[in-house]
Amino acid sequence: MTDLLDLPFHDARAQASPREYVDACLAAIKRHDQNVCAFLTVTENPSEGTLPIALKDNIVTTDMPTTCGSRILGKFQSPYDATVAARLRARGASIIGKTNLDEFAMGSSTEHSSIGPTRNPWDTKRVPGGSSGGSAAAVASRMVPAALGSETGGSVRQPAALCGVVGVKPTYGRVSRWGLVAFASGLDQIGIVTKSVRESAEVLGIIAGHDPYDSTSSATEVDDYTADLDAGIRGMRFGVIREAVEQLEGEVRANFDAALAVLRSCGATVEEVSVPTIGYAIAIYYIVANAEASANLSRFDGIRYGHRSERAKKLDDVYFESRGEGFGAEVKRRIMLGTFALSSGYYDAYYGRAQRVRAKMRHDFETAFGNYDFLLTPTTPESAFEIGAKTNDPLSMYLNDIFTAPANLIGIPAIAVPSGFDSRDLPLSLQIMAPHFGERAMFRAAAAFERETNYWKRRPPLK
Amino acid sequence: MKIDRDEARRIANLAHLEFDDAGLDRMAGEMTKILSYIDQLREVDTTGFEESSDAQSTPMRADEPRPSLDREAVARNAPSWSDGFFVVPKVIGD
Repeated sequence: MTDLLDLPFHDARAQASPREYVDACLAAIKRHDQNVCAFLTVTENPSEGTLPIALKDNIVTTDMPTTCGSRILGKFQSPYDATVAARLRARGASIIGKTNLDEFAMGSSTEHSSIGPTRNPWDTKRVPGGSSGGSAAAVASRMVPAALGSETGGSVRQPAALCGVVGVKPTYGRVSRWGLVAFASGLDQIGIVTKSVRESAEVLGIIAGHDPYDSTSSATEVDDYTADLDAGIRGMRFGVIREAVEQLEGEVRANFDAALAVLRSCGATVEEVSVPTIGYAIAIYYIVANAEASANLSRFDGIRYGHRSERAKKLDDVYFESRGEGFGAEVKRRIMLGTFALSSGYYDAYYGRAQRVRAKMRHDFETAFGNYDFLLTPTTPESAFEIGAKTNDPLSMYLNDIFTAPANLIGIPAIAVPSGFDSRDLPLSLQIMAPHFGERAMFRAAAAFERETNYWKRRPPLK
Repeated sequence: MKIDRDEARRIANLAHLEFDDAGLDRMAGEMTKILSYIDQLREVDTTGFEESSDAQSTPMRADEPRPSLDREAVARNAPSWSDGFFVVPKVIGD
């Protein structure tokens, strides 16, 4: 018998009652999560739901704690539901649990969670990627059919790639961030992890749209993201970003070339295009994102909620000691870099310059989109690495986001679609980027690729 | 850009983060390495490009009263709370 959780949720719910569907998820979590460690909280009283879903634990709900993978939030329990949680519940979703993440979504491996690392279901000695590693691992190991994550530089697409599932970063402003704990407000966007493209398109249709509680959410009309999924890509134009792919080698190169051949076989035009500034994305990102993070994380002060140091005797001690005890090493490193980049005497040389290069990169992308419907890269430069391999080298960890960060910096949507496996049976992934609010066409292209390849049907070898 | 222990201490004070000397030295080393990578931005000619951001187009909403959070719900998350106030250590004098 086919496992309910091997099916896309639109097929699964035709075969099981909402109660049975939710119970199947809970049973799968009980079976697999001791090895994968994707969940920080599993609900004790799940509602019935036609769409069981997990949320990254930086998205607040009233019925479960929100930790952000950090000690500094203490026993925080939100007095309100995030807009995405409320919209999902209103459409019959059942929120099954909260998933692990790098502390405050800062990382690319989920090793920077104060609770402990999540493991890649394809090889539990390896990382699932991050920061939404719990969400990606939960979907990949068939514990839930869908999960939400958050993206600041690739934190949904990169773990989706490393776990062999679909990861979507919508256009900046497409999804309300009310109730998403802020990291870098000019970049943050809630994203989606599912097994298949259609499932992601359906979830986006539920969570997208303007929200009076988030003034950065767009009033642009919400498309029917599933309408064109079967329309194919004959005659569509795909640009391969030359500067991103000319360094590729070995199996990643071969896999990417094979993916391009699939697109061509579907009748699409695939050509190289130049985006000269793309190589600066990580340098820009680590100034802009950390500058914003240093401001956003100043709210964690030990006064209104979260951890307060027991050593603190004076008000200043409350700030320094609570933050010193509550934040992990990576978060402190980023606050320090961001504070430096905004500090007197360095602002223009770092933050100002990064923003100007960002504007130039935006211009380069707009030029490329003048000739192409989509832009392509691999989602990541390598498959999943071993736990511990990069924790002592922050820069090499950062470079894992080299292909994903540009979409956040310019605000466009992008999707990671499974593109096969390397010789160690680890997943690889194709990234398709589209112009602002081009999600409908993006899903169409991703669905066409998926239909030809069907890599999503393979499940990881968990016992 | 080289960050030394004193510069790391200056930044830690701005950021309200507590470090011991060993922690400051480690942070200074890591920041130096990361900033030297970031310094590649200097080679880009940005003539004609302004420092701008998407946030500039954020529309304003009408300033209308609406219900705010329930006080008891807020108090439940506070490390120290009394009579409708957050409690903090003494701020002035000894």
